[in-house]
Amino acid sequence: MGNIYLGVDIGSVSINIVAIDEENRILFKLYTRNSGQPVELVKDGIQQLRIKLNNKIKIDGVGVTGSGRQLVGYILGADIVKNEITAHAMATTYFYPETGTIFEIGGQDSKLIIVKDGIATDFAMNTVCAAGTGSFLDHQAERLGIPIEEFGDLALQAKRDVRIAGRCTVFAESDMISKQQYGFTKSEIIKGLCRALVRNYMNNLVRNRNLQGKYIFQGGVAANLGIKAAFAEEVGEKIIIPEHYNVMGAIGIAQLAKAEIKKTGKNTSFKGFNITKDSFETTSFNCEGCANSCEVIKVQANGQTIAMTGDRCGKWSDQINHKKREQQETGS
Amino acid sequence: MKITFPHMGTTLIFAKLFELFDHEIIMPPRPSKKTIDLGVKHSPEFACFPFKVIMGSYLEAIEAGADTIVTSGGHGPCRAGYYGELHKKILDDFGHQVNFIIFNAPQDNWSKFMENLKKIKAKKSWFNFWRNLKIIYKLAKAIDNVEKIVEQKRAYSPNGEVDLIWKKAKEEFNKINTIDEIEFVETKVKADLDSLSIHLPADKDRIKIGIIGEIYVVMEESINNYIEEKLNSFGVEVERSHYLSDWIDDTFLPFFGESTKIKAKGQQYIKIGIGGHAQESVGRIVDYKDRGFHGVIHLKPFGCLPELVSQSMLDKIAKDLNIPILSISIDEQIAEANILTRVEAFLDMVRQQKSLEERKIKHG
Ligand code: SF4
Ligand code: SF4
Repeated sequence: MGNIYLGVDIGSVSINIVAIDEENRILFKLYTRNSGQPVELVKDGIQQLRIKLNNKIKIDGVGVTGSGRQLVGYILGADIVKNEITAHAMATTYFYPETGTIFEIGGQDSKLIIVKDGIATDFAMNTVCAAGTGSFLDHQAERLGIPIEEFGDLALQAKRDVRIAGRCTVFAESDMISKQQYGFTKSEIIKGLCRALVRNYMNNLVRNRNLQGKYIFQGGVAANLGIKAAFAEEVGEKIIIPEHYNVMGAIGIAQLAKAEIKKTGKNTSFKGFNITKDSFETTSFNCEGCANSCEVIKVQANGQTIAMTGDRCGKWSDQINHKKREQQETGS
Repeated sequence: MKITFPHMGTTLIFAKLFELFDHEIIMPPRPSKKTIDLGVKHSPEFACFPFKVIMGSYLEAIEAGADTIVTSGGHGPCRAGYYGELHKKILDDFGHQVNFIIFNAPQDNWSKFMENLKKIKAKKSWFNFWRNLKIIYKLAKAIDNVEKIVEQKRAYSPNGEVDLIWKKAKEEFNKINTIDEIEFVETKVKADLDSLSIHLPADKDRIKIGIIGEIYVVMEESINNYIEEKLNSFGVEVERSHYLSDWIDDTFLPFFGESTKIKAKGQQYIKIGIGGHAQESVGRIVDYKDRGFHGVIHLKPFGCLPELVSQSMLDKIAKDLNIPILSISIDEQIAEANILTRVEAFLDMVRQQKSLEERKIKHG
């Protein structure tokens, strides 16, 4: 079997793992909800990968992305740890070289990436306002008593348009209730909500940027046909949803891991499948070194400290990095 | 008189100034989370972020025994114009009796300026007075000269050698008393930096990023999440739009300083002064582009009107000049991880764009 590269995307809502081969074919793909135990989920995912590929594999490169990338990067022994914007842009431009605009909406954040000639030229990120993300929809779906999976399809059945104030989750909610009282149907309300989310996205992320085709829509929320339709209406163009829309970040980082290995010519630093048997412990303490009193996070593997983060001044993380460097220099 | 002052950038220069005049100094602590919390709590909600942080710094210094605050006024139309007065009023309201010595540009009110100078001069002779000011000016220049080298070389020093020299340099500069000593330290530190086996890569492999924005968030690293160090750690060189010595030039020698030239470069985007450093911010982008920089990071304190205006122009400028710009808003809620993600993505973008352009040139 040829070379295999692993891509792991640790988001706040989902954890995604993919394995690709030399030709970027997807050999394995896993999308799981992040229940707050990323390390366990990753271990579990890697175990599944091993079974799927009949134990016959050797991993040649590992990349980790997403908001939890640092920690899992240490644990896996990643060859590359990179932000999710670069990872997403990488995968999308691979599948669609003519990409002009990438809309990415996940559970708790959303991104916009502008692409020209196959490379990103501008981006925007929203991590503070829930009104432009999947959790907004989750929340409203719950209120309306509709499973989120049916949400998008229902929106397409709406006969009339109703405008729902979508600036913020709280206002949207009260506006939604009053519109319901006016007698709008559930599907009309849902369509209104989808459009409110897209309007929000446009106001917060796109602002006065000039968008260009092709338009690619990805991330967990891309499964929602109502949102897709609302985007299409907003930009007046066709919206493309990639086949692997919900694991694009993982695919991108796997590709980046491959590129990194090719570039450096090094062997992977992947810790191996045995990590599924290791025990990891994450603890935190408040540093009393100065008035910042940072919450420092310490990661241990089988009792040995492998990473420390969260210190603003580098007092703790530098120690570990230093040790690693020394080990590398002495070649151990 | 127990003097304190806002914590902005290399504070040892301010400390040295008062030390030379034999004043007792209460060093303002480096702004921490506690400082910010304190400042936010004691400031009007609408105040711009630097106002709040400085408020916190004052409260901490007062707690440590300071009774006199020396600061600069700056003139409107933005809020910097009333910083001093408002800080004083709020401190008064909370029952803190402190004296304020607020320095405005001399041309604004000459007699007030002289009166303030005399307070600082205290019992020293005018001869000593001018001598001391000259020392401070030279010190600021020397430190800035060294820092500019640090901001460049640190990009190629992942093991922290450059940082170590920089840290020691600040300690050495802190001990000086004469101009000769300043020159001696400066020469020595530069030699130390030269002696490191750091080879700047070939021009085509270097990436230079300029930092622009409001002076306080640009200069105070504890507030901007040590952005320069971070950029350096990603292997790129940095330069910022504000250095203390330039600020001295601009405030006291406005027609000789560089800022007139910089403002002129941004003329087509901002024609009139709107307070703060909006004109310089925009002018700097043009300047960085002219000097072959590859990207610009714009720091905007939350609630800052001038930088909001310059921010609104960034998209257009980035397009006109073909230079990537990342704008970061800074307030008490900013999450470090978020800044890192955006900075890293931005640098990836800058690198890719650079190599694309090079390929284009190569293949005609
Ligand atoms: S980790 Fe560093 S910045 Fe944070 S509290 Fe400790 S000494 Fe202070
Ligand atoms: S420049 Fe901005 S941050 Fe500074 S005083 Fe003026 S409004 Fe406030």
